[in-house]
Amino acid sequence: MNSLKPANSRLSILLYPHPILVKKHSLAKTLCLAAVLLTGCDKPAEKASTQSNATPNQGTIGVSLLTLDNPFFKTIGDTITAEGLKHHYTTVLVSGDKDVAKQSNQIKDFIVKKVSAIVLSPCDSKSIVPVIQEANAAGIPVFTVDIPCNEPGVKIATQIATDNFGGGKEAALAMIEALGEAGGKVAVLHFKQVESCQLRVRGFTEVINAHNAAGKPRIEVVAELESGGAKDAGFKAAEDILQSHADLRGIFAINDPAALGARAAIEKAGKTKQVVIVGFDGQPEGKQAIKEGKIYADPIQFPDKMGVQIVDAILRHSKGETLPPQFLIPTSLYRKADAEKDSSLK
Amino acid sequence: MKPSRLFADYGMVLVLALLCALFSALTFSDQSPTGEAAAIQVAKMLGQGGSRPARVLIATRDQPDDVAYAAALQRLLSAAGSSAPSVSVVRGEPKDARETLQRLAASGERLDVVACTQATGAWLVFSNLQADFPSLGEPRFVSPRSYRWPNFLKSENLLNIANQIAVIAIVAIGVSMVIITGGIDLSVGSLLALSSVLSARLIRDYAGGIAASPAGMLLCCLVAIFACGAVGAFSGAMITRFSIPPFIVTLAMMLVGSGIAYILAKGQSIYQIPESFVWLGRGADFLNVPNAVFLMAVLYGLAHILMSRMKLGRHLYAVGGNSEAARLSGVPVRRVLMFAYIASASLAGLGGVIMASQLKSGSPTYGGMYELYVIAAVVVGGTSLAGGEGRMFGTLAGAFTIAVIQNGMNLTNVESYTQKVVLGLVILGAVLVDKARNTR
Repeated sequence: MNSLKPANSRLSILLYPHPILVKKHSLAKTLCLAAVLLTGCDKPAEKASTQSNATPNQGTIGVSLLTLDNPFFKTIGDTITAEGLKHHYTTVLVSGDKDVAKQSNQIKDFIVKKVSAIVLSPCDSKSIVPVIQEANAAGIPVFTVDIPCNEPGVKIATQIATDNFGGGKEAALAMIEALGEAGGKVAVLHFKQVESCQLRVRGFTEVINAHNAAGKPRIEVVAELESGGAKDAGFKAAEDILQSHADLRGIFAINDPAALGARAAIEKAGKTKQVVIVGFDGQPEGKQAIKEGKIYADPIQFPDKMGVQIVDAILRHSKGETLPPQFLIPTSLYRKADAEKDSSLK
Repeated sequence: MKPSRLFADYGMVLVLALLCALFSALTFSDQSPTGEAAAIQVAKMLGQGGSRPARVLIATRDQPDDVAYAAALQRLLSAAGSSAPSVSVVRGEPKDARETLQRLAASGERLDVVACTQATGAWLVFSNLQADFPSLGEPRFVSPRSYRWPNFLKSENLLNIANQIAVIAIVAIGVSMVIITGGIDLSVGSLLALSSVLSARLIRDYAGGIAASPAGMLLCCLVAIFACGAVGAFSGAMITRFSIPPFIVTLAMMLVGSGIAYILAKGQSIYQIPESFVWLGRGADFLNVPNAVFLMAVLYGLAHILMSRMKLGRHLYAVGGNSEAARLSGVPVRRVLMFAYIASASLAGLGGVIMASQLKSGSPTYGGMYELYVIAAVVVGGTSLAGGEGRMFGTLAGAFTIAVIQNGMNLTNVESYTQKVVLGLVILGAVLVDKARNTR
């Protein structure tokens, strides 16, 4: 999980439209327009249904993700759609837009449509419980991705997520590699409310502690500040750290935006040679920064692998296999050498 | 009432009917009979065609329709007396089906027929039966024959739409009143969030948390609604005593209400409330109609009587039409305005309680952008933003128009960004239709 809580959208009210004076219009014309609009937009669905007529259709997968404006979730959704099609499933992909009431309605629509499986990353693990129970009662299997729902009274077929703990360990190895023989002071930019970030920091700390216990050049975690997983907050937190620890050597940020914010603070302080940054995620912007040497390395996540894993889990569930309660997708360290070979970067 | 007059009054109903027809045509798809009807059909299929089956496996999921199907089919098959087949039933997930098949294969039995439902027929556990369980023979697969019917027009979907829009429709009653007086209320979305947080927090902290009694919960909800009403009274007082424009006052209260909701909830959702709290939002005690929808219908009936049959209703129109003329002819303008803002805020509070009940938790993030959806419903329903005209059932039709568009687009797989564009254009189109009707 790497996205922020939504900013309060209520200020958009200032764009409130004023009553408009309109010339005389014929009723029929307006309705035609509306009809054309609606049918025009419906073309993808029609295409999907003709395709499924040609092949034996196994059913529909209903997918509601936290948001689709984050490339991470977009990739998960698109991979499920593509992978589902290979196995003759039609996929309906919607965005919960971080609004749990909206997401609940989407799930209810899935239940009415009698989909064969529901995939979701809950917008709120607590408030989503009633609607998951409704899906359970309708006999539709529910799969969660990235964000778990571990509440009592709900039945989840399986949970698929990044191995954040392992990723944190990899981040620590990258930090040790970057600091080399000298060791030194490092800081952590945290996002404490989010469970996945807690796991990342726990993995990081464990490896650093083991490194120190083994008598290697000492790496000391001197500060753990809240970054909100965002550029602006990461920037401020990093500036404060640089004030109190002028001899800082490294920063581990729990995601790319926080890492890039920290980088801006370091550039401002003119300490780019002194302080190295290890990020997390591997979003396009983060990878670009690694290529330019602004971030040392990222343990990167694989949303495409997660999408493939979900469809595989749905198939195995339908075949009657017993699924483990969760699948963890390992991260992999991405350094400058990897970025130079990466054709997706400019 | 003559049809032409009906159309003039409720032109929106026509648009709504057209939208329903459109979505019905677009969601035409294969449906399969469920429960008893499906069982009768499948039993008939098994009775036909030469040799009667000796061993039958009924594969169902653990859900009410499937359970009824299995029970009815078992009964029908055993009615054949001495020639009745031996029946095994799977009730659950594909995993359970696999276990049953393994057990049957181990005991050396053969299977003649697997009776499925539409859903279990698609289970992959059956897709390669001969290869996986050769000892079971080559059973015939039977499932109820599908027929064509729009997904949109299924009764459960129509109730689903009503249930989804209940909160917005209830809040829209109060906002209609405010808009009819020529004002506006932007604070309803925030008050909805505030009420959900307040009721959930009161239940958690003072009514005993997950062990709260119904009376305790009712009291907490009433306090939350009352608190919202007090906020409405404050807005009303600011508007009537200090002549601050309603737009500014309710904009300020929108920020204040949202802020207080975040403070009270500490930015988290509050979920330590009893299971029985969902009765209001998800229960369906009367003729299978969800309680929230029932409440919505009752409130619209009352609001219609208030607006069309009572003095207060006529005063609301009079104030909106021309407040100075109303004052001169003896209408208590300030009191009427106070009533409108208190009603609007209280109904927003009620909406918050229903939402907390539907989601079994209160959260400060609820109700984001709801003020805009509510105002859209009111305007689409034919109420003029200039005040002085509008009807309650028009607002209801407007709310349903929005719900039908959203639900219809979800059912036809329209992508969510496109949905926003279409919804915006349809709102604009609906108001155009309304204008065309009025100027004709």
